[in-house]
Amino acid sequence: MIDFSLSKAQQAARDYAHQVALEEMRPLSLECDRTEEIPESFFWNMQRRYWGGAAAQARAYGQDEGVKQENLLSVISQEEMAWGDAALATAIPGPGLAAPPILSQGTPEQQARFLSIYMDGQLHWGALALTEPGIGSDVAGMSTTAVLDGDEWVINGHKHYITNGARADLIVTFATIDKRLGREGIRPFVVPKGTPGLIVGRIEKKMGLRASQTAELIFDNCRIPKENLLAGRGEKKEGFKAAMGTLDATRPMVGAMAVGIARAAYEAACEWLREELPAGYPPHKRRAWEEELKELGQEIEMARFLVWRAAWMADRRIPNSKEASMSKAYAGALVMKATATAVRITAPGEESERKLLIQKWFRDAKVFDIFEGTAQIQRLVIARRLFPNIDIP
Amino acid sequence: MLDFAPTEEQEEIRKLAQSIALDHLRPHARKAEIEHDSPNELWLTLAQTGLTTPFPEEYGGSGPLEAVTYSLIAEELAYGDPGLALHIVGSLMGPLTVWLAGSREQQERYLPPFGNSTSGYLQRGSLAFAERTGGYTLADIHLQARRTSDGYLLNGTKRDVVHGQRADLRVVLARLAEHESEGPEGKLCAFVLPGTQEGLSIQAEEEKLGLQAAPSATYLFNQVQLPAEALLGETGSSGVVRAATLYQILRAAIACGTARAAFEYCSAYARERIAFGRPIVSYQGIAFIIAEMAMKLDAARLLTWRAACSWDRGEADETLIHEAESAQRQAVKMAQAATTDAIQVMGGAGFMQDHPAEMWMRDAAAME
Ligand SMILES: Cc1cc2nc3c(=O)[nH]c(=O)nc-3n(C[C@H](O)[C@H](O)[C@H](O)COP(=O)(O)OP(=O)(O)OC[C@H]3O[C@@H](n4cnc5c(N)ncnc54)[C@H](O)[C@@H]3O)c2cc1C
Repeated sequence: MIDFSLSKAQQAARDYAHQVALEEMRPLSLECDRTEEIPESFFWNMQRRYWGGAAAQARAYGQDEGVKQENLLSVISQEEMAWGDAALATAIPGPGLAAPPILSQGTPEQQARFLSIYMDGQLHWGALALTEPGIGSDVAGMSTTAVLDGDEWVINGHKHYITNGARADLIVTFATIDKRLGREGIRPFVVPKGTPGLIVGRIEKKMGLRASQTAELIFDNCRIPKENLLAGRGEKKEGFKAAMGTLDATRPMVGAMAVGIARAAYEAACEWLREELPAGYPPHKRRAWEEELKELGQEIEMARFLVWRAAWMADRRIPNSKEASMSKAYAGALVMKATATAVRITAPGEESERKLLIQKWFRDAKVFDIFEGTAQIQRLVIARRLFPNIDIP
Repeated sequence: MLDFAPTEEQEEIRKLAQSIALDHLRPHARKAEIEHDSPNELWLTLAQTGLTTPFPEEYGGSGPLEAVTYSLIAEELAYGDPGLALHIVGSLMGPLTVWLAGSREQQERYLPPFGNSTSGYLQRGSLAFAERTGGYTLADIHLQARRTSDGYLLNGTKRDVVHGQRADLRVVLARLAEHESEGPEGKLCAFVLPGTQEGLSIQAEEEKLGLQAAPSATYLFNQVQLPAEALLGETGSSGVVRAATLYQILRAAIACGTARAAFEYCSAYARERIAFGRPIVSYQGIAFIIAEMAMKLDAARLLTWRAACSWDRGEADETLIHEAESAQRQAVKMAQAATTDAIQVMGGAGFMQDHPAEMWMRDAAAME
C-alpha cells in the first residue's frame, strides 16, 4: 500500500543520523574544508556514534519490522550525513563503495574474507576504482589490464579520482582481461592496501568536497591472489554488469547526499531571510525570495521521494536502473539550483559562518552532477530503459 | 512504513479506469472539446463502474472515496483526456464537499440524487474554488461572507467553476469573518448556492484556451443574501479544508495524467519517426527531453501520492494544505513543461490538430 510515513526504524535512521551530523560534522565542516584534512578523532567518533550508535540502532529496529530495508535506511541516514557535511560523509570509515560489488559479485567465502576486515572495530575504508585518465563515462573503454600468471593476477594500469583511494584497505579495481572482448572483458578485482606495485599518486585539489580524499592510483605489475577476482556466477557479462549493478545501488545514495546538501542550503537561506536580513532590505524582494524558496522546498521533497523510491525498489530486488538514475539526475540538478539560490539570496549579507557554509555547499554541489555518472549519462540510462529496442549511442 | 506500490485492489481499479480512458474518453476528446460537453452514454458507462459515485452506500454511492485510490483513477481518466477527466472530477467535487463538510441533514438532502440510477447519474455538481485574483491555493480564496440576521451576505468572485452554469448542486468556498481575532479574512467555509439569487451573476466561460470539455463559469457576487442553512456544516471544522485539498490533489493527479498522455504519445512518435536515417529518439537531443519528462513526471506523481496518503490518514489541516498545494503547483508546472516538450519532440506534426499533443498543451496551460 502506498505509504509515505516513516516506520520506527526509518524514523530512527533519520533522527539518530541527524544528531550525529549536527554534533560531529557541522562543527568540523569549515575547518576540514580549509585544511583538506580530517582529525582522527572524527573517524573514531563516527565508528562509535554512527556505526555503533545511529546505524546499528536503526538496523536493529529494521530487523524487528521484518522487511528488507537496508537501502532505504541508508539513503535516509545519508541525507542527514550530507546535511552535516558531504565531504566528511564520504570519509566515514567502512567498506563504502567497495561493498556493493563484493556483495553482488563475491562468493560467500569472498564476502566473509573481505568484509570481515571491517568488523574488528578499528578504522578501515574501502574504495572503488573505475575511472582512468583516459576514460570516465565510457567505462567499457578502460585500459587497465589484468593477466593471470600462475596463481596470481597481474594488474597494470592507471586509475584516478578515486574516493578514499589512499586510505582504503581494499580497492575494488576494474580491469580488462581481454581488450578485444570490450565490456565483456571487464572484471572486478579486490586489491588490498600495501600490495607491491600499488602506488598512490597525487591527491587532487578540488573546488569542493575538499575534505574528501580523491586519489590517483597506479598499478605497476601489481600481483594479487587468483582468489581476489570477484567472478560472480561466471557468466559472460558479469564483470561489466557488476560495475553497472553497483551503480543501481549507489546512485540513490549519491542522490540522497545531494538532497541533504540542498536541504542544508535551503534551510540556511530561509534562516538568513528571517534572522540576518540587512536593514532597509526591500520587502518585495524578500517576498520574491520567499516564493522562490517555497518552490525549492517542494522540489527537495520530490527529489527525496525519487531517492526513497529507488532505494525501496533495490530493497525489494525490483530492477531499478531507470529509477536510480532518475533520483541521481534530479537530485544532482536540484542541489546546484538550491545552493546557487542560497548564494544569491545571501549575497548582500555580512560575512558570517552561515554564509561561509553556504559558499562551501555551493562548491560541494557541482560534483553531484558528475560522479557516479554525469547528468548526461543518467539521462542516457533513463532513455535507454525507456526505449530498450532502440540504439541510443 | 515507506511503500510505493499500490494495493492489488487499487491496481485493478486503476486498470479499469485506464480501459475506460482509452475506450471512452480518448476517442471522444475532440468532440467533447468542440461541444463543451460529454456524451450521456459516457456517464452511464462510468456510473456502472462506480467510479463516479465515490460516496457512502447509504446515499447510493459505491463506497467512500480514498484519496490515493482516486488519484490513481483521476490520473488514468486524464490520460484518456484531461478535459473530460476534469469534467468528471469537477462534477464530483460538489457532492463530495457536501459529504465531507455538510451536516447529516445536508448530506441526506444533496447526495442521493447523485447516486440515483434512473435519473441521477446525469446530475452535475460543482465546486467553486479559484477567483479572479488568484489560482488554486487556499490563501487565494477571498470570497467574503458576513453573517446577517437571517443568513449570510456574500461578496466577491469565482472563476473556472467546472459545470458552474448548469450544475444541479453548486458549492462555493468562501471566508467567513466572525471575530476580529480570526483576522480580516476569516475562516474557510463552504456554502451551497440555491438556484438563482439576486446579486449573483453566472457567466459561462466560452473562450477558453484549453479544457473546453469541462465547461466552466464565472460567478460574480454582489451583496448576495444566502439563508442560514446554506452554510455547509459548522465553521472551523476540517471538512471544508479536506474538500478543498482533495480538489487540489485530484487536479494534481489530472496534471500527471495529462503529462503521461503527452509523454507516451511523443515517445511512440519518436520511436517511429526517421530523420537522417535513424529514429529521432536515437538522437540525444530528443532522448534527453523524453528522459527528463519521465523523471519529472515521476517526481510530481510521488508528491501527489504523498499528499493523498496524508489525506487518507486524516493528517492535520496545515499538513494537508501544505502538501496538497505543493502537489498541485508542481504537477501543473510539470504538465505544462511535458506537454510543451511533447510538441517539440514531434516537430511540425505536434502543432497540428491531427495529433492530440497541441490540445494537451492548451489543457495544461488552462490548469492555472
Ligand atoms: C570528487 C570526485 C570523486 C570521484 N570518485 C570516484 C571513485 O571513487 N571511483 C571512480 O571510479 N571514479 C570516481 N570519480 C570519477 C567520476 O565518476 C568521473 O569523473 C565521471 O564518471 C565522469 O567521467 P570523466 O570525468 O572522465 O568525464 P568524461 O567521461 O570525459 O565526460 C566529459 C563530458 O562528456 C559528457 N559525455 C561523455 N559521454 C557522453 C555520452 N555518451 N553522451 C553525452 N555526453 C557524454 C559527460 O557527461 C561530461 O559532460 C570521482 C570524481 C570526482 C570529481
